[in-house]
Amino acid sequence: MTKLANDPITLEIIQNSLQAAADEMFAVMKKTAMSSIIYEVLDMGTGITDAKGALASSGAGIPAFIGVLDKAVKVIVAKYDRPGDIQPGDVFATNDPYYGGVTHLNDIVVAMPVFVGDTIIAWTTNIAHNSDVGGMAPGSLTGEATEIFQEGLRLPAIKIISKGEPIRSVMEIIKVNSRMPDVLEGDVWAAIASVRIGAKRLVEIAEKYGTATFQNAMASFLDFGEQVSLKALKDLPKGIFELSEEQDDGRIFNVKITISDDAFEVDLLDNPDQSPNPVNTSRDGVMVAAQMIFKSLTDPYSPANEGSFRPIRLLTREGSVFHAREPAPIGFYYEIELRVYDIMWRCLAPHMPERLASGHFASVCGTFIGGIHPDTGRQYTIIEPQLGGWGASRGGDGNSAIFCGFHGETYNCPAEINEARNGLYVDRMELNVAPGGEGRYRGGRGIVMDYRVRADNGFLTAGYTRSKFPPWALDGGNEGSPNYVEVIRKDGSRETFSFVSGLVTHTDDVIRVVTGNGGGIGDPKERDRSAVADDIRNGLITPDLAREVYGFTG
Amino acid sequence: MGETIIRVATDVGGTFTDLVCFETDVATGAARIVTAKSDTTPPNFEQGVLNVLAKAGVDPASVDFLAHGTTVVINALTERKGVKVGLITTEGFRDTLEIARGNRPDFFNLHYQKPKPFVPRYLRRELPGRISYKGEELKPLDLSALPGIVADFQADGVQAVAISFLHSYADPAHEEAAMAELRRLWPDVSAVASHQITREWREYERTNTAVLSAYVQPIAERYLSRLAGGLKEKGLKGSPYIMQSNCGVDSLDSVSKIPITMVESGPASGFWGAAELGKLIGEPNVLALDIGGTTAKCSLIEDGEVKIKTDYWIERDRTSAGYPIMVPVVDLVEIGNGGGSIAWVDDFGKLHVGPQSAGAMPGPAAYGRGGTNATTTDANLRLGRINRDYFCGGEVVADMAAAETALAGVAEKLGVDTTEAARGIIRIANNNMVNALKLVSLNRGHDPRDFTLVAFGGGGAMHGVALGQELGVKKVVVPAGASVFSAWGMMMSDLRRDYFVTRLAELAPGSAAGIEAIFTETEERARGQFAAEGIAADKVRMLRYGKFRYQNQEHTTEVLIAEGAITDERLAEIQAAFHETYEREYTYRLSAPVEMVGIHLVASAEVGKLTMAQREATGTPADAALKGHRDVDYALEGIHRAAIYDGTKLEPGMAFAGPAIVEDPGTTVVIHPGNRVEIDGYGNIHIHL
Repeated sequence: MTKLANDPITLEIIQNSLQAAADEMFAVMKKTAMSSIIYEVLDMGTGITDAKGALASSGAGIPAFIGVLDKAVKVIVAKYDRPGDIQPGDVFATNDPYYGGVTHLNDIVVAMPVFVGDTIIAWTTNIAHNSDVGGMAPGSLTGEATEIFQEGLRLPAIKIISKGEPIRSVMEIIKVNSRMPDVLEGDVWAAIASVRIGAKRLVEIAEKYGTATFQNAMASFLDFGEQVSLKALKDLPKGIFELSEEQDDGRIFNVKITISDDAFEVDLLDNPDQSPNPVNTSRDGVMVAAQMIFKSLTDPYSPANEGSFRPIRLLTREGSVFHAREPAPIGFYYEIELRVYDIMWRCLAPHMPERLASGHFASVCGTFIGGIHPDTGRQYTIIEPQLGGWGASRGGDGNSAIFCGFHGETYNCPAEINEARNGLYVDRMELNVAPGGEGRYRGGRGIVMDYRVRADNGFLTAGYTRSKFPPWALDGGNEGSPNYVEVIRKDGSRETFSFVSGLVTHTDDVIRVVTGNGGGIGDPKERDRSAVADDIRNGLITPDLAREVYGFTG
Repeated sequence: MGETIIRVATDVGGTFTDLVCFETDVATGAARIVTAKSDTTPPNFEQGVLNVLAKAGVDPASVDFLAHGTTVVINALTERKGVKVGLITTEGFRDTLEIARGNRPDFFNLHYQKPKPFVPRYLRRELPGRISYKGEELKPLDLSALPGIVADFQADGVQAVAISFLHSYADPAHEEAAMAELRRLWPDVSAVASHQITREWREYERTNTAVLSAYVQPIAERYLSRLAGGLKEKGLKGSPYIMQSNCGVDSLDSVSKIPITMVESGPASGFWGAAELGKLIGEPNVLALDIGGTTAKCSLIEDGEVKIKTDYWIERDRTSAGYPIMVPVVDLVEIGNGGGSIAWVDDFGKLHVGPQSAGAMPGPAAYGRGGTNATTTDANLRLGRINRDYFCGGEVVADMAAAETALAGVAEKLGVDTTEAARGIIRIANNNMVNALKLVSLNRGHDPRDFTLVAFGGGGAMHGVALGQELGVKKVVVPAGASVFSAWGMMMSDLRRDYFVTRLAELAPGSAAGIEAIFTETEERARGQFAAEGIAADKVRMLRYGKFRYQNQEHTTEVLIAEGAITDERLAEIQAAFHETYEREYTYRLSAPVEMVGIHLVASAEVGKLTMAQREATGTPADAALKGHRDVDYALEGIHRAAIYDGTKLEPGMAFAGPAIVEDPGTTVVIHPGNRVEIDGYGNIHIHL
């Protein structure tokens, strides 16, 4: 056996087994979680890192979480650096972007060292959005926060389980700080079950093949990821690409991307100071955005690991919106991450027409609705990202009603479950047929969803971007349509929002979620005539629009 | 033979129609077994069935029990050969079918293509009316628009209609009313309402299920009626039973109404066979593995029970969201790894096997039909695991030069010799299959050491021992007639129906009566259905499963509820069973309240099931079946001189040791060094690791 231990087939088998373990961790977490944001929306991720925290393998889930886990483990490894600090059976947690948490306080990263004998051979880790971690507002997210302290309980890379035994005081602190203590406890345990099962699998693999072979397999896997990226980088157009774009809130964001044979440099130095509102992100968060676009451009089909991302260079300025300094609030970090992702995409799209489509609705459209379930009397909280339209590409029309680039293997909540669990009515959930996104190929459709509230004194919090400036188009196509939320009161009065915090709702108020259509590509007059006729027949466009925009006379 | 009972199973596949016939002596239980194969004859599939009966010399008039399996439904779906469907749904929800769940499994791929709905938007129409999640009417159904919708559908050439309303799982009254009116307006249209197929929640999944069922319904109805007609004409006395995805058979009439339940009937019969075999040989815990030409499928059987679930999808993988079909399907994991799977080396020198397959044409390189890709079969030949002089039961002359050339291509890219390349292919293929087997066992909290691996299909026996050793199972069993095992499973099937009903209830004092009522209600529905087919109530066996979770969770854990009425006193016992099952699977338990989300009722009755008779050990030594010796490469274990046995000459009681190979016309059994082998009284090969 020893002779064979480092042959490529064995290494490949170990790497496949790592992937299987990450997938299993994902499945366990999904099945045991208590928050719908985890088990239904799958706002979570799982991963395996080497002993130092380099990401070796990741499970399914959302792309925006894949680059988070390694950063958390690295902070834990650096913090617990004395002999005996880390013991077999320990489990750690962090949720604080200033302590390796990357995102916002709702997302708790749980990590477990994997021991063979006295040696740490790897870490199993996961991240998930928790429904409520305390702070000034239900659901912990609010546009009113001016400091991170108002956004919930901070866990600065701490130990929660010691040698297999939960540290009771710590667990009690975590639980008591939540408005939904039982749910938080259940979700944290789901995360613990997931890292434990992953660790068990890794020990089995390492014992079977030997620790040295196991470590060799991990290292060679990372090198492999780098090779794949470098090879793909060679095929990208070289040069310096720049873009400046005004945001819905009036800020101007600037990006400069330099692509060379061996590096992909993203320069975000020239950007506004951090905001007193929770519309900032950590530098790690911006790195995740750069990793996502880089991976999509280079090798979208194979799993990502730390090696895949080695060619990325990121330049940020501490104290800026993209590199917030403690204690800046960061609750809506994900919209900022998406804005960076979208401006990088838009900056490069004209130069890589085969790789990049027109702009998509490009907002998580995070919608938080809460109140009392009229049938059970229990508190409910809906926390959900929305589906929207994607941009047209040179290959065809954009997809309708899928999650934004930040999310991935994420599921919307069925109306039947929503009505039962949350005690409101979903009056409709349909494609958005508003004009926008016309072109030779058209953007996909966003959605229109009506929630009718069944009890008084509920709340609505939302944070949408691409509400003032809709998804961008290419080559003479039309821009898409905007994302927004509208509240239609029982008396018929209406208000439209992109950012709203803690709006009080009453019985029979309708909360209408509207997400944008993606941008079009090419001159609408060049659209295939039978495709225009199909769109009319399917009720997606009116004959008037067909005539005016598409020049359709058939 | 004296008085006999003749049982026949026919299985219509894409290329061949298979037959297995058991003629059993009533007095002694001794059986004469006939197998036959003929071409599948699209579109007149019944002709192929009649042909194979004739070829086997079986007179339909003499047949007492005929079970039939077919791929007609899955093929119509994957080849998009169904009919034009119109959908009628709840106002505000016509786009549910297209919105689907919004997921992007291939999330770094910015060119992801969302699966297209089977019904375009203009054929998705709405009616006002609402039922609540509790089954109460919130807004009456307004059918005034239906005549207009019917007229439009007729003008557009719609051939089948699906009806799916929100919360119809809780109360189907609106769907029933719309269906009745549709039947009045358009009596001869093929139609199905979602509640007829499933009583579970999730509107996209239920609606898509109704749509796909409607899509195949006219085709399946025509197929089944012509089959029944053709067989009747030839004198078949009874009506054939049709294999279902839930491991049971169902009556032809019942299947004609909801043909979508046949969607995974092929694999289901094999897994049921494995469960029945396990009971027969005293091994009720079975890991079942079916390796065919393009895929490997596996399933776990615990205590003789197959696991049936309703979260089945077609065309779903890492690159596509696929389409859900919410019908009872045996819980299986399928991977693109079979005998014909192609080995390839990527740009970075990494070896992969599958999921692309060389199929039947051109097939593995060694078929000599022009295939240039190295497959798992080529590697098995190269290593001497398959006898190059007895390829495909001696029916094909193995083109070893072509196999060598194909393997050399892989070897060159890997920088090794062809032997190492062939070994690598076997190891990677085995690893893919081990990961699939782990998904159904280890990953669900089961210890493989408690299980017997039953390996069947053309390639199961070739890889079974290596996989069993890797997993650490108790032993490996290769059933007699491993290559026609699915047909045998069909003959062992019961008339079986699985009922899933969504119903929320807290597991707290006072709730038992409601839980008992939903079970009783569903059991009555089941008995009614069986009674309509002439099966007495006392012949119907019921198994009650509850689907439980901790409050606030979504996913449920299914727990078998022991016989007897459910009372408040028994809730603690049920709750304890849930905690125990949950902890085994997920490593922890909570003190949170437990709730029931729904029930799963299994109703089954025996209909002419085969009883197997055991033969005594003959006392003949195994040497009588020995054909000779040859060098076999066991990959990790190196090259060994193996004894070669003729599978057709093995007799009960024979025993021998590995390294060895058993050659059967349909399959090759690879027995590793150190294994001990025994042949049991049914001719099954038991391999002790």
